[in-house]
Amino acid sequence: MAKILLKYKDAVVQEIVLDKGIVGIGRKPDNSIIIDNQAVSGHHAIIEAERSELFVEDLQSLNGTFLNGQRITRAELFNKDVILIGVHALEIVSDKDRLSDPNAAGGRGRSMYETVVITPEEQKKIILAASKAIPDVLGGFLVIQGSSDHKDYVFREKVSTIGKEKGSVIRLRGFFAPKRAALVNRRKEGYFISPTGSKTVKVNGDAIDRRYDLKDGDIVDIGRLKLQFYIKEFHVKPSA
Amino acid sequence: MILTAGGKTDQGLVRANNEDHIYLSERLGLVAVADGIGGRTSGETASKQAVKALSDYFKKGSQTISPFDSSYSETTNRLNAAVMLANRSVYEKAQSSPELNGMGTTLAAAVLKGNQLSFAHIGDSRIYLVRSGSIEQLTEDHSLVQEQIRFDWSNKNAPERSVVKNVLTRAVGINSDVHADLGELTVLQGDILLLCSDGLHNMVSDEEMLEIISRAGNVHAACEILIDMANDNGGQDNISAIVGYIHQEKWYSSWSTFMNAFRR
Repeated sequence: MAKILLKYKDAVVQEIVLDKGIVGIGRKPDNSIIIDNQAVSGHHAIIEAERSELFVEDLQSLNGTFLNGQRITRAELFNKDVILIGVHALEIVSDKDRLSDPNAAGGRGRSMYETVVITPEEQKKIILAASKAIPDVLGGFLVIQGSSDHKDYVFREKVSTIGKEKGSVIRLRGFFAPKRAALVNRRKEGYFISPTGSKTVKVNGDAIDRRYDLKDGDIVDIGRLKLQFYIKEFHVKPSA
Repeated sequence: MILTAGGKTDQGLVRANNEDHIYLSERLGLVAVADGIGGRTSGETASKQAVKALSDYFKKGSQTISPFDSSYSETTNRLNAAVMLANRSVYEKAQSSPELNGMGTTLAAAVLKGNQLSFAHIGDSRIYLVRSGSIEQLTEDHSLVQEQIRFDWSNKNAPERSVVKNVLTRAVGINSDVHADLGELTVLQGDILLLCSDGLHNMVSDEEMLEIISRAGNVHAACEILIDMANDNGGQDNISAIVGYIHQEKWYSSWSTFMNAFRR
């Protein structure tokens, strides 16, 4: 029997066996596959089994449903196909393989290392699709305990620091405060924090010794400062 | 903050010519890498022209900014204007003769002013920041592989899965207008910048780059070792690297600048 692997950043989050006729995908709780993400519509798409054939259909979702990189409204599914919804990928496992696609061979025969530029039309399509599908996370820290210049810090830059040194987003105070206590990296998919000095950095009460992926609401302790990480917005970037 | 930078560009082991160009000026706090695209020697012309137009803008202290984006600093706006002018100048040159038609180039550039770094890029040349023993890529390639990663259906660890490896979704000089990705960063004492063409980052992993940059005693040694390593791993493409140390201005540095002016 065919199944679907729901993946996020290469990790399989959920495995769904296609044992009923229609599988709904969306943000609302009445779907069979619930993806709780701002880029996903309430009822985003369905996967339908008709005799031996499988189909995916987009339910006029805001950000679209992509099959193997192309935006679709309805299409047949084959083994190893990848459906992209928001930042989640749904991989199809079935016994029906896709016949080799003559279009896919377009780039072959060229040297692997030769650089080419694609036409403006294709470019526009790809950039539009990509920027629509990818949310851009913006977050920061609230100061819950301890003294600091502000109560709320938004972390906009790709790499920021917390410490006593000038240029730090959150400036630590006091004679024993470390020059540089932690790095905070902002990436498309979210934020992470890594300790850089001798000073202990705790997340939700536990000391960390390497990169920690921050989640909304995490409590970070650095010295006498207690911070709470929060996600301010998941804004879908306007098209380029 | 001031910049101490070194750079090197190398043909690699496979290509017949070097289509990369680099520019660096410690005085202007400006660094740039361009990787040309096009038949015969036109790629070389494109990258050279782009780097020249960009550096001329800063050398002349040009203030032309249009359109002004208020979400970025003045310096970032100037950098954006310089990149747009570079695009225009490569584009015009490409239109001027049939041999140069269709040429283009990537461009990655950064300017340091005070403790603010402004950066811009088009294509798959990259800018990295090394800070506190970790490396972070500041730019996101405008390539088909990268767009696939953004879609999450290709895997960063297996870009070879893609049928078309080196397809750029944006380049300088292909169209009359281009959109550069811009960024800003507050720099700290001890930060290290790396600008490179894909000949380096396709051949040497981020971890290896971090190791080399952290261990090399100076900017020139770092560039040499990076390029040697890319060649050891195959040297499939032209390889360019600029390494820049960011550090606090010493009290005597203005004096030595003054003296250096006499020595020339």
